[in-house]
Formats: sequence, C-alpha cells, structure tokens
Amino acid sequence: MVGLSLGEQTFIKGGIDQDLRTDGRKRLTYRPIFVETGIIPQASGSARVKLGATDVIASVKAELGKPNPSYPDKGKVSIHVDCSPTAEPSFEGRGGEELSTELSSALERCLLGGKSGAGAGIDLSSLCIVRGKVCWDLYIDGLVVSSDGNVLDALADAIKAALSNTAIPKVQVSANAPSDEHPEVDVSDEEFLQFDTSGVPVIVTLTKVGRHYIVDATTEEESQMSSAVSVSINRQGRICGLTKRGGAGLNPTVILDMVSAAKHVSEQLMNKLDSEIAAAEACDEMES
Amino acid sequence: MGLKCLAQHYLKSTGPSFILTKKNKPLRRRTASLSKMEFVNPEGLRLDGRRPMEMRQLRAEIGVVSKADGSAVFEMGNTKVIAAVYGPREVQNRSQQSNDEALVRCEYSMANFSTGDRMRKPKGDRRSTEISMVIRQTMEACILTHLMPRSQIDIFVQVLQADGGTRSACINAATLALADAGIPMTDIVTSCSAGFLNGTPLLDLNYVEDSAGGPDVTVGILPKLDKVTLLQMDSKLQMETFETVMQLATEGCKAVASYIREVLLENTKQLESRRGV
Repeated sequence: MVGLSLGEQTFIKGGIDQDLRTDGRKRLTYRPIFVETGIIPQASGSARVKLGATDVIASVKAELGKPNPSYPDKGKVSIHVDCSPTAEPSFEGRGGEELSTELSSALERCLLGGKSGAGAGIDLSSLCIVRGKVCWDLYIDGLVVSSDGNVLDALADAIKAALSNTAIPKVQVSANAPSDEHPEVDVSDEEFLQFDTSGVPVIVTLTKVGRHYIVDATTEEESQMSSAVSVSINRQGRICGLTKRGGAGLNPTVILDMVSAAKHVSEQLMNKLDSEIAAAEACDEMES
Repeated sequence: MGLKCLAQHYLKSTGPSFILTKKNKPLRRRTASLSKMEFVNPEGLRLDGRRPMEMRQLRAEIGVVSKADGSAVFEMGNTKVIAAVYGPREVQNRSQQSNDEALVRCEYSMANFSTGDRMRKPKGDRRSTEISMVIRQTMEACILTHLMPRSQIDIFVQVLQADGGTRSACINAATLALADAGIPMTDIVTSCSAGFLNGTPLLDLNYVEDSAGGPDVTVGILPKLDKVTLLQMDSKLQMETFETVMQLATEGCKAVASYIREVLLENTKQLESRRGV
C-alpha cells in the first residue's frame, strides 16, 4: 500500500474527531454487510462475507473423530485462517503466516472459550455421538480473499453465517457393538440437523485513533490507530472474549467505556447480520 | 466426425448440479472401482451428462479484488479460481531486478476447503510449486516484459474449488486479471484439458475423469497467433490418438478464448459508460 502523506493523516484524524469519517460514516457505523451462503458445495456449511472491500470466505467441514480423553462428552472444533496473497502481495509464501496465526488464535479465544470448553460460543456437547468413543470434529477454515481493514470482524461474521448454513448428518449408532471396540456408526445421507447458532457471538473491533474510537476501520484508518480492542459479544449481551492489540497503553476506564460501546453496537450488528444470513439462506433455497 | 466440435456451445443445458449439491456426498468418496467405471455410457453421455466434446459451463467476472491492480474469477464447471495481479511495481528483491525487462512472479495456492478431503498444507508443496512455475512461464511468454524494465509483476492465483482442470482455470483467470490490470500482452493465453477414456476423446475433464488413470493433455495457446505455449501430458497415448486429443484440447482453448473476449468487451463497454464516453 502506498504510504499516507501528512495531509492525509491529519484529514483522517480530524474527520474522526468530528464524527465524520472519510467515507461519510459516523464513528460507530459499520459498512454495509453482504452475506452469501452455501458457496462451497463440498463443505458441510460455508459462507462469504463482504464488508466494504474486505472479502472473506469461511467453510465448515464435519468429520467423525475420537473425543479428547479428558473431555469424553465433548466434540472438537478447530479454527484455521489462511491469508491469501490475492489480498496483499506481502502474504506470498510464508508472509501471511503471522497474521493467520494471530487471527486463528483470536477467533479460537472468542468462540471456543477455555481449555475445558466451558463458556464456549459453540456448544461442544451437541457434537458428541458416543461418549468417549465417537464425536464430530468440526474444521472451520477461513480464507481472506481481499483485505481492507477489520478482517477479524468479517471472519467472525462469516463463521457465524457458515455455522448457520451447516448441516450435520444424522448418525445411527448400531446398538450391538462390543463396548470396548470402536462402535459402528452409520452416517445418514438423507437426514441432516441444522446447527444451532443462537449462542455464537460476533466480534466488534474498536480502534482508537487520537482521542476517539471507531468501529469497522478501513486499512487507512487502521494505519493511524494507537490501539484496538476486539470484544466478542453474544445475543444475550454477554462478553465471550476480549483481545487488545496495539502498543499504546489504555486507561482502564477507557477500556470499560469501549466495552459498553461495543455492546451497544453489537446489538445492531447482530440483528443486521441475522437478517442478512436469513436472506442469503432464502436465496440459496430458491436456487436449489 | 468433424473436429469443429460442440466445444463452441459451452453453455450447456443440463448443469452438473445434481452431482455436487450441498446435501450430497462429495464425488471423491466414490473411489471403489474407477477402472471398471463407465465414463461414457452407451448413449454417449459422460458422468455429469455432457457429451464427449462438450465443455463445462464457463463463468468469469472481472475486478473482484478492488485492492489489486487487476483481478478476475474464472469458473469451469465446479472449478473456481481467483487471480489477482499486482504490478508493474518496484522490485522487492534488488538482486533479482533486471535492467531490460520486467520480473514476473507467480504463486498458486489452494484453499483448505477446495478439495473433497480437507488439505493440510495449502501452499509450498511440490504440486503447487510446479504449477506456479508453469503459470509463470506461460504468462511470461505473452507479457511484453521489455516495456517495463526494472519492475515486477506479481500474479497470485487462489483455488477456491477444485474439480479437475485447475491448471487451465488458473491460466484463464490470470489472463483476465492481467487484462484488467492493463498490462501489455502480445495475445491472451487460454488453456483447456482433454483426455481419452473408454476409447473416446473427452474434452475438459473433471476430477473423477482425471483420476481414472487415463491420459490428461493440458494445452495452452495464443489464439490469434495460433501458437502453443503450454503442453503437458501424463500417462500414455498412441501417437495418432495423441494428435486427436491435442487437437480437441486446442479447439476447447479457442472456445474459451472467444468467451474471454466477450467478457473483456462487456467489461470495456461498462467502463466506457461509467466514464460517460
């Protein structure tokens, strides 16, 4: 990206101070969200989310696996993000690995809760088939196709949309299997269970530029930030995860203020996202 | 049987959607008896309902990645590929800089979810390195590199869905992306693959037909100059059959070329109308 001149930097900061950003938005307004579901036919669920020029794809694949011996009645979920070089030439080869790992771990932290699976946005117990022996492994893959700031929020939205698009096949466990052996499972081709996404949180990233903070920053605005806080909030208004990025220190009262602003923004975002997902699914149903 | 084939009618009436809809199992799991499978049934229809000389449905879109200098999406049936071009720009690695021509670099990567079984390593494996090199050499042949000395052109290709013919789809997408970026070329490059199964030459193989173990000929041509820039084949073929199959693939390339020209013309008309010309 071409660097910003001093005049442009002043313009961006000044605009944010006056609640009028370069593209005309207010400080706490999101760009229009565009959701498309079911774009990867081979996956159990998939979605593509466009937030302005930021374009991300998320896919969910469900495979049978063995649960972790310490948590025998919970399934496993793993999130992996890949930054495609089409988004940024510097992502070529291993260049995008640092950002990919950062995004993957931030998403895991926000959506999956602690090590024991407690407080996870995704209910892991619903993925268990036979306690201790067979469970569903969900592999969530994200791909950043084009990046114009706020990639984390877009990825979280895409994952939520992909999960609501996911259809997990019904499984019949044969009753007469010996208790020690791996039980026979019959994966149905016809019947599917829709995944329950009412508990899945969204992520709202607040970027502090100067003395104010903005939501949904573009790449130019992100280049002027001093620090950013990403808050993951679910439908009940509970915080599911918190990440602070950027070097500058923040006053604790400012952080609390940011969190309450995030909560306020997340309600509108959640409603907008849910309606977009419903519209996308309806579109998908009409086509197939 | 003239070789002016149904490839020209690339918009087929029966789509392959019944093979790979969301609720069905992916085709890849059916590996049981590929050698005994009938790839062309007695009525002359292939597994997805196409005729032997019929191409899959083509779809292309220009300008999908707004940050890139040029970008395009190219779909051949279920194979979907995004290409983005950044350049000409300053060379990042001074030691590779050339004083009389531009440096062309290419990277091919597959998404984790692009194949039926989830891939662990999206890039850096040998197949990706080989295809990156192939695409780079093919595009380098047609770009007028001497017009842009001491600069670098980056072509990045990302496979979103792989269902056979990814190499060809990548080259076609890269051509469109280069045209979108306004990089001077001698001619567009188009590519298509063809094979030979059950005694019949087949155009534009999908993944099942490709993994059947029969020959797979990939051809890349410069359509106006009528020159071949890419020719790859695996497995073995009789010499006469090879000529037939290669001719079929070349016809497929020409059909792709006419589609690409249509797309570029449509794009230019839109740009004209937006500028108020």
